[in-house]
Amino acid sequence: QVSVLYFARSAELAGLRSETLSVPRRITALQLWEEIVRVHPRLAVIRDQVIFAVQQEYVLLGDQLLVLQPGDEVAIIPPISGG
Amino acid sequence: MDESEDVPKDFIKLKSEKLSVDEVSELVISPYCGAVSLFIGTTRNNFEGKKVIHLEYEAYTSMAETEIKKICRNVREKWPSVKHIAVHHRLGVVPITEASVIIAVSSPHRAESLEAVKYCINTLKASVPIWKKEIYEDEYSWKENKECFWANSEK
Repeated sequence: QVSVLYFARSAELAGLRSETLSVPRRITALQLWEEIVRVHPRLAVIRDQVIFAVQQEYVLLGDQLLVLQPGDEVAIIPPISGG
Repeated sequence: MDESEDVPKDFIKLKSEKLSVDEVSELVISPYCGAVSLFIGTTRNNFEGKKVIHLEYEAYTSMAETEIKKICRNVREKWPSVKHIAVHHRLGVVPITEASVIIAVSSPHRAESLEAVKYCINTLKASVPIWKKEIYEDEYSWKENKECFWANSEK
């Protein structure tokens, strides 16, 4: 059970800012994205522009294997525009 | 003189109230420093011919603070003589001409603080999870920094 956080455009497409999702403990970043899109199909359009932050470390949507603990924070990070 | 009393500090704040240049520069002033360098990011009133009404910022606050702390650590590694660093970023609605970010750095001599301020703003734009929405008269647009490596700038 991980905490998924949505920001900026991804929050608009998903219609919410945060939720808890049940996902396998060991999962690739890409598989995790696919799980999330299953729940929020409208997110599919931004797939090429987002990355994750897992426990506040950036992770590309690729084959990297994530080892998740219960309560871990996963954030959808659209292209940033601070400053 | 005991410089060990003036321990180098990082002052990082994300807030929705109006930012103050006086406040941020005063944070970094030190009797051991002859230079305070400052960057102020303000909001422009136009983008590609469209009139910008105001900006709205949101942040992944906990991670943004952590990433800014990392920037401060890197600054101190690159320019060890840097004394204090202050980064204040505004969140929520920012009216035109008001500041969205103020960065101040103090150092004994000017070269280091000038370089450090430039590094701070450039790296902030590439790595800190903060998002800006430009509100126009009849639409809005989530902006993407060109420094952001996961944005598709050509579409």
